Amino acid sequence: MEHAFASKFARRAFTIVLVLFIASFLGSRFFTHIDLALYGYMVGSIVFVGGFLYRFIAWADRPPTNIILKKGLKLLFRKSTPKTSAEHLVTYRFIWNRGWYRWTQHILLGWGCILSAFVTFPLVFGWMYFTMGDNGIYTVVFMGIDLMTIRADGFLAYLFFNALNITAFMVIAGVCMALYRRMKDFQALAEQTFLYDLMPLYLLLFISITGLMLTASNIFLHGFGHPVISVVHQFSVIVTLLYLPFGKLAHIPFRPMSVFARNYREHYAEREMKKCKVCGTGFVSAEQSHDVIDVLQTNEIRFKMEEGFHLAELCLPCRRKYRIFRFTGKPTHLSPAKEANQHANG
Amino acid sequence: MAKQVLYIEMENCIGCRSCLAACTQCGGHDNRNRNYVLDVDPFETRQTIPLMCLHCVNPACARSCPAQAIQIADNGAVLSALVEKCIGCQNCTIACPYGIPKFDEEQNLMYKCDLCYDRSKDGIPPMCASVCPTNTLQWIDEKELAEKQAQHKLANGKWMASQMIEPLESETNVKISLPGILQGKQKLF
Repeated sequence: MEHAFASKFARRAFTIVLVLFIASFLGSRFFTHIDLALYGYMVGSIVFVGGFLYRFIAWADRPPTNIILKKGLKLLFRKSTPKTSAEHLVTYRFIWNRGWYRWTQHILLGWGCILSAFVTFPLVFGWMYFTMGDNGIYTVVFMGIDLMTIRADGFLAYLFFNALNITAFMVIAGVCMALYRRMKDFQALAEQTFLYDLMPLYLLLFISITGLMLTASNIFLHGFGHPVISVVHQFSVIVTLLYLPFGKLAHIPFRPMSVFARNYREHYAEREMKKCKVCGTGFVSAEQSHDVIDVLQTNEIRFKMEEGFHLAELCLPCRRKYRIFRFTGKPTHLSPAKEANQHANG
Repeated sequence: MAKQVLYIEMENCIGCRSCLAACTQCGGHDNRNRNYVLDVDPFETRQTIPLMCLHCVNPACARSCPAQAIQIADNGAVLSALVEKCIGCQNCTIACPYGIPKFDEEQNLMYKCDLCYDRSKDGIPPMCASVCPTNTLQWIDEKELAEKQAQHKLANGKWMASQMIEPLESETNVKISLPGILQGKQKLF
């Protein structure tokens, strides 16, 4: 079994596709309810798995990433994980602290995309579908199980059928807010590039508009142009899926790392704090200080000083004062005077 | 346009902290300064020295970032963490040999001097260099830098005065001139 696969990449890709296949087999009641109109999306999703794994494995191989991933996984079942996950992945509390405008924009974009994914992936892989036994009553089937029955003209059914229309409006509103910010914000204007910052927004806009055009074609135009629009929409979705792991949108699947990082910091800080080699203040966990020294070592960066300490063993104020010592020859870092007046009010 | 660099003439600093105030006003700096002005020894001398990101050519902060959030701009500026990528691990603050990156716990985000990239990319001096009243912080091109270096060249091949140990850990994009007065060497400007 060790040599069954040419690489880690091949093994993981095979495993994921196999899991998807089995889930589809079971979820669609042994392939009896696969929606073949969506097969293009299915092929696109499987190619996406390949791209995602390629990017993820290259990324996880970097020494600092590897440490946080491994230790974070081990610490996944901490008591604080549900709260941290909710704040980082559901409510985006940290973005709220960056401003209400960015938070609103991100809630609309983020949840617009995530809810769409929750609807479309189960439909594409046959994990969710609707059957109609009695006239006017739909049965929602999820993973082969009859989940609930809903009235075809009821409110719930209205929400289900229009889920993607609602999320499309959310995404369009979010994209418009983001584009407006990118036209006005000095830092964004300076740093943004078309491929990294603007293209994902245009792609999401492309998907949302072509998706809404399908609805518009059905409601207002008796289905005029539907076959063409559906192919264009499918194209927009698949291109975005293929692009996703390699651009800005990659932060969606990678974001759970921030929960890992928080757990890693909290756990090891509780265990043992690193005391500054100059002033003795605990400033970071001993584990993290050690890990950073290791990571720098693998990058052939050595900050070992003549005094016998590594710079990562000094607290930040002492590290700054130590640098003044190196500039002047005066032992500033040994002076008891604290840094003063370092924060200007903007 | 000739490549321009930030040059710090340390002994000129009078501790006015104009650079800190100006830093807050840079577009995208969100009213927070990213630089420091440190006393050399407040019990003995009034001498202060500005300390800001020196924009290492091989930055330890970016090397230690698990999320690849710290990007290096074409002019060598090591930028603040990309907001969507920063996962808040603070490795960068531990790795930086000069103790420069700051971390906002509320926003779960690292921020640091970006050499006012929105200005410096167009050849406009960073905010700190624009306002420094004593020419401690200067925005000069390579020719001017070479002239300054020639002015301080010593017989032992070293640029700086009487400093025995290397003042920096590695090559940086920001160039510095050590305080000569403290080294017993008089510089006249």
